[in-house]
Amino acid sequence: MERHNSPASASHSQVIEVNIDIDRDASSFPPISNPSPTSNNKACRGGTCDLSYSKDSPERWDSMRKLVIAVVLCIVFMTVEVIGGIKANSLAILTDAAHLLSDVAAFMISLFSLWAAGWEANPRQSYGFFRIEILGALVSIQMIWLLAGILVYEAIVRLIHDNGEVKGFLMFAVSAFGLVVNIIMALLLGHDHGHGHGHGHDHGHGHGHGHDHDHGHGHGHEHTHDHGHNHEHEHMHGHGHEHQHEDQDHEANTFPTKHQHDHSHSNDMKESLIKKGNKKPKRNINVHSAYLHVLGDSIQSVGVMVGGAVIWYKPEWKIIDLICTLIFSVIVLLTTIKMLRNILEVLMESTPREIDTTQLEKGLCAMNGVVAIHELHIWAITVGKVLLSCHVIIAPDADADRVLDEVLGYIRRDFNISHATIQIERH
Amino acid sequence: MQEKKDATFSYQFPDGDRRLAFSRQSSFRHWDPPLPSPSPSPSPSPLLRSHSFKPYLARSDSTVGMPLLEKPGQKDATWVALILAAVRGVANGSRPMKRLALMISLNVAYSMIELLLGLFTGRVGLVSDAFHLTFGCGILTFSLFAMGISRKKPDETYTYGYKRLEVLAAFTNALFLLFLSFSLAVEALHAFMQDESEHKHYLIVSAVTNLLVNLLGVWFFRSYARVNIVYWKPEDMNYHSVCLHVLADSIRSAGLILASWFLTLGVENAEVLCLGIVSVAVFMLVLPLFKATGSILLQIAPSNIHPSAFNKCSRQIASLEEVLEVSQARFWELVPGYSIGSLSVQVKKGVHEDRILQHVNGLYNDLGIQDLTVQIDYK
Repeated sequence: MERHNSPASASHSQVIEVNIDIDRDASSFPPISNPSPTSNNKACRGGTCDLSYSKDSPERWDSMRKLVIAVVLCIVFMTVEVIGGIKANSLAILTDAAHLLSDVAAFMISLFSLWAAGWEANPRQSYGFFRIEILGALVSIQMIWLLAGILVYEAIVRLIHDNGEVKGFLMFAVSAFGLVVNIIMALLLGHDHGHGHGHGHDHGHGHGHGHDHDHGHGHGHEHTHDHGHNHEHEHMHGHGHEHQHEDQDHEANTFPTKHQHDHSHSNDMKESLIKKGNKKPKRNINVHSAYLHVLGDSIQSVGVMVGGAVIWYKPEWKIIDLICTLIFSVIVLLTTIKMLRNILEVLMESTPREIDTTQLEKGLCAMNGVVAIHELHIWAITVGKVLLSCHVIIAPDADADRVLDEVLGYIRRDFNISHATIQIERH
Repeated sequence: MQEKKDATFSYQFPDGDRRLAFSRQSSFRHWDPPLPSPSPSPSPSPLLRSHSFKPYLARSDSTVGMPLLEKPGQKDATWVALILAAVRGVANGSRPMKRLALMISLNVAYSMIELLLGLFTGRVGLVSDAFHLTFGCGILTFSLFAMGISRKKPDETYTYGYKRLEVLAAFTNALFLLFLSFSLAVEALHAFMQDESEHKHYLIVSAVTNLLVNLLGVWFFRSYARVNIVYWKPEDMNYHSVCLHVLADSIRSAGLILASWFLTLGVENAEVLCLGIVSVAVFMLVLPLFKATGSILLQIAPSNIHPSAFNKCSRQIASLEEVLEVSQARFWELVPGYSIGSLSVQVKKGVHEDRILQHVNGLYNDLGIQDLTVQIDYK
């Protein structure tokens, strides 16, 4: 349990002791260090650890490793371009190098968010630092929008300066190079995207071998990895609500496939949990935003390539360049909309999409002794970590303890919300 | 540091006699959540009833809780209907909303003119300025949208209501201003390295017009024209961010004009100097707002309550004889002025929870936590 820190040290960040006892439903939660069998605290079974990543969480390190590799690659390419641009004295190449610099900035933001999310919670920041992920993703997306605007502006500038200064061929070549770089990084960051259909629990093995085991959060093809992830995924996914989880998956194209996988495995609950852990790549939102950034850049590179080709062949059709750039910028913005919507929903403390509130209310009200519930608030601290608070009114003769146990158990079992605070009131 | 509410923002009787309209609102104080079960008992003590919001008709409201805009995300809303709803929302909105809408339309008109002029005469500077303005307008429109939608009542998905959007809009504004200051610094660096100074001269007219429009905006929001403000309501943050936005824009225009003038005077590197100063000024201006909005969005404990007060409260609770332990106390601010918390109290068996709930709620209400959920565990 958390203890309140003495006032003298309240201003420093404190390490909060977590003593948890292993309860009856211990199968759902991983054993935490320092279990204390004496206290009978129901308040946060296996949960406080949830609010601050353990330092060696494999997912986080995988994501960070990916991003670091991407940053290094980016910097290497950028220096190559800068040197080439200075040598050739071409503004286009330097502009492209500036775009790569913006990529680096986006990766830095994502890296920082990932790292900062692992900081320990303190009394001032009682929910841990997970929100930093969301804010970092928001900043990234704003940068994407900004860059799209800058690119449109550049296209307009090219339109105005139509006195042959702009060499179409050079533009084409530089943006082709940029495209190749971006594709490499997109593959590195978001490997599961293009192969979503193949990612059944078995196919994941095949793909995994080609790359190191980082990319799939849920695709651990090494079995030890698997078991480590199982618990995580059981934390996050209610098995009754896998459908809603798929909604939240950022890849729209994998949605229908995963549905079919679900239906075929829903017979055996326990087994299906493990299998789901395999095939559900719950991608970290920061890696995903970096991936979106790179994807946006490659789409824009394609646009610039088309514009360059047009200017190269027919220098008088400048307007097509502008139109192309506009179209591609709009496409880039469309890719960010879904993620922006997720971010917005988390920041507005709205009920996460994967939780079915009506079913929750019905289930709670159907319990013994529960008369009514009100003030039900379900919100997420970050994508995947959900908290709940509620007032439950019970019959005057009911046993508050038992009802509390039941309610907490129900919420945890069926909706996998591990942080629930229930205020029991009597009629 | 009380901020004075001057008479310009008189919301009580903005237009027409709406005095009686307040009392006709039967449900303006309560919010009855949609429940499948029979509604909560008629006579729990008021503390236990713990409504989630203060009266909706706060001083800043001038309409009577009408749904202003269609719920965002409805797939069947046609564009025309949306625009009509938006116009209606602004027309019914509070005075700052109207002023902001006026400013945005001025800015949009001006940037359109600038863009067309730039395209036809082939001047890149005008086009870049127009883009800059358009971005700023977009952000201001988001602020306007937040103002309009923040008055919607909480519903199924947004159980805490829509007021957070104002904080988010303020954060977006602050972020944009940070980007602006960064880009100005880059521009200064660019001018320093390139050593060209030709492209500032013909932007004078546009800079002057920009300055005038932005000064008008500063005048509209002049009670928020300070760097450090204590935020009492969520709208405060939004208005502050809008004011800082126009203030930063006007500083930038003034800087450009100044740089141009210095160049005609023959001062070397005038551009670099002016742009650098402007960049630093905007950065310092926006940093407190950014920190404040960021800390709300990050679920940091309420900033207006000292952490030792929390400790004192929990110790007071723990000192009751029935209470064994207080744990898991977490507090956060939904919007400035409304704090929410949850905590867990371990008590001895057989203790009636009413008394404890009342006591705990009373303690934390005094601190300023409006919404508290207390979980009582029996040992």
